[in-house]
Amino acid sequence: MEEQHDSENARVGTTKQKKKAEYEFCKACNINHNQGLRHKYFPNHKKSLSTFLSRFRNKLSDVRFFLNAPIPLDSQLASRNRIWCVFCDQDIEEHSSSFACANAIRHLSSAEHVKNLKHFFWKYGAAADQLDAFMVSDDDVAKWEKRCVARKDEASEGCRGKVFGPSSDDIHNQVHSGNVDSLENVYSHSVKSYPSNAVLPLQCYTNESQISCSGLSGVANVATSSEASSAAIPFALQDFAGMLFMFIGNVSFYSLRLSSSCLPLLIPISSGHTESAGGNLHSGAPPPWVEATEVVQIYSKPVLGDPVSHSNKLGKSKKLNPKRVGAAWAEKRKIEMEKKKRGETVRNEYDANWLPNFGRVWQSGSRRESRKEFEREKQKLNVETQSEMPIKIQPYVSKRMVSFILWVLKIAGLVSFKTFSQNQLALS
Amino acid sequence: MSHVLPTLTKKIEVDTIIRDTLDEVLVLRFGRATETLCLQLDHILSKAAREVSKFATVALVDVDSEEIQVYIKYFDITLIPSTVFFFNAHHMKMDYGTADHTKWVGSFYTKQDFIDVVETIFRGAMKGKLIVKCPLPPERVPKYQILYKDV
Repeated sequence: MEEQHDSENARVGTTKQKKKAEYEFCKACNINHNQGLRHKYFPNHKKSLSTFLSRFRNKLSDVRFFLNAPIPLDSQLASRNRIWCVFCDQDIEEHSSSFACANAIRHLSSAEHVKNLKHFFWKYGAAADQLDAFMVSDDDVAKWEKRCVARKDEASEGCRGKVFGPSSDDIHNQVHSGNVDSLENVYSHSVKSYPSNAVLPLQCYTNESQISCSGLSGVANVATSSEASSAAIPFALQDFAGMLFMFIGNVSFYSLRLSSSCLPLLIPISSGHTESAGGNLHSGAPPPWVEATEVVQIYSKPVLGDPVSHSNKLGKSKKLNPKRVGAAWAEKRKIEMEKKKRGETVRNEYDANWLPNFGRVWQSGSRRESRKEFEREKQKLNVETQSEMPIKIQPYVSKRMVSFILWVLKIAGLVSFKTFSQNQLALS
Repeated sequence: MSHVLPTLTKKIEVDTIIRDTLDEVLVLRFGRATETLCLQLDHILSKAAREVSKFATVALVDVDSEEIQVYIKYFDITLIPSTVFFFNAHHMKMDYGTADHTKWVGSFYTKQDFIDVVETIFRGAMKGKLIVKCPLPPERVPKYQILYKDV
């Protein structure tokens, strides 16, 4: 009996092993695994999936740019303008298309792509609300086609010799905007990587004189942060400086002339782009990188106790007491903040009426109760003010008094007899 | 002194700093930058902010701001300067031997007093305590009286 039982066990074991042994490849994690469908619930998979998707989303942002502003594609650049669709596992070439990313846009709206996309999302357990980011709706395609037709008409209306002109301008514009984008990227990276938490007060001390000048504190901060990051990432800063030169060379009128004499490779661009940005160097507008970093600073300012930089600063992954105050909350918030950094949507955004837990002075019981009590008080106050508002308090005036006043006015000749008698009738 | 430390004037700023300061003590000073006692406290805070920067974040809140009034009411702030402590978005209380355990009212005598108070709160919070005992001797805690609500 026992032997039989053992053999049964062994059989069960082998079937289990067989089941397990079916390896499959996970595109997001880039590994072969034998965990079956439950693999998609693993935290490592979720992390790599979100980076995988965000990488592809970045690529698609270019396509979206061309979707909004169709640009004629030069045949020389056609071979370079291609995209790999990670959901369908195919390369989308643009050899035959006359507009940039035309085939890509058509592919993204195709039923096959949508089917593959949905299958991918099911297989890898991505959030369904992100589906729209990876496909193009038919309405958008229709709009894009209309724009393409308009663009073609424009091109055909213009004289033949000039056809090359605007297209090269556009490509230059595109390259230029790419530069600006990467410039901002590099800069924001350098600002982010700089551990603001620990050194911030010191930074303020050293620049006290600068900061005390009212209104200049933002600029001063930018300067110091760039200085600090220069120590950390010299290469990034060099790139940044190079791009800065490129950028200024493109934008400013004077250096344009200079650049055309020194560097004949630079092509002048149409000034329409810079005018739309609102002012330039000569009109005294703040440079775009200052604005960009200000946004970054506002964003990164509240992240004072940034968990990532915090752990980096400590140098080792120190285990914190799991029973510390608000441990669960801190873990939750850390995950949310990381998600936000990666550009994902966080489900529970906090509204304007959010209040922290607070034990009030005269409160007994839990701290959440004190918030409820406060909200109740506020509602009561609101109700009282609302009920008081419509009632107008007026001093009592007797009817005899009114008639007396009217009579006095009549004598003075201010009120005609007609109105006086009407009032009398109304009173009686 | 207010330009050395971040000064918050909007409710959303206070909200975000409370929410995003994780595993560190958040020190919020409610006061007016023009008052003498407040200036004294700000001076101490700005001097000590760097020394406690490994486990605490200090921020100033302007009580005259319109948007902050909701927090003034919520935190029952009747005397300025008042200092409130948070840890992981949880309010930290301290038994000072005065009537109000929820906040520090008034200034500190020395910078070391402030550092001691913040450190005690941090150590307590890391052990999961929502209320800790004040490490300062009673003569170094400013005395005041509070009245029960509207009475």
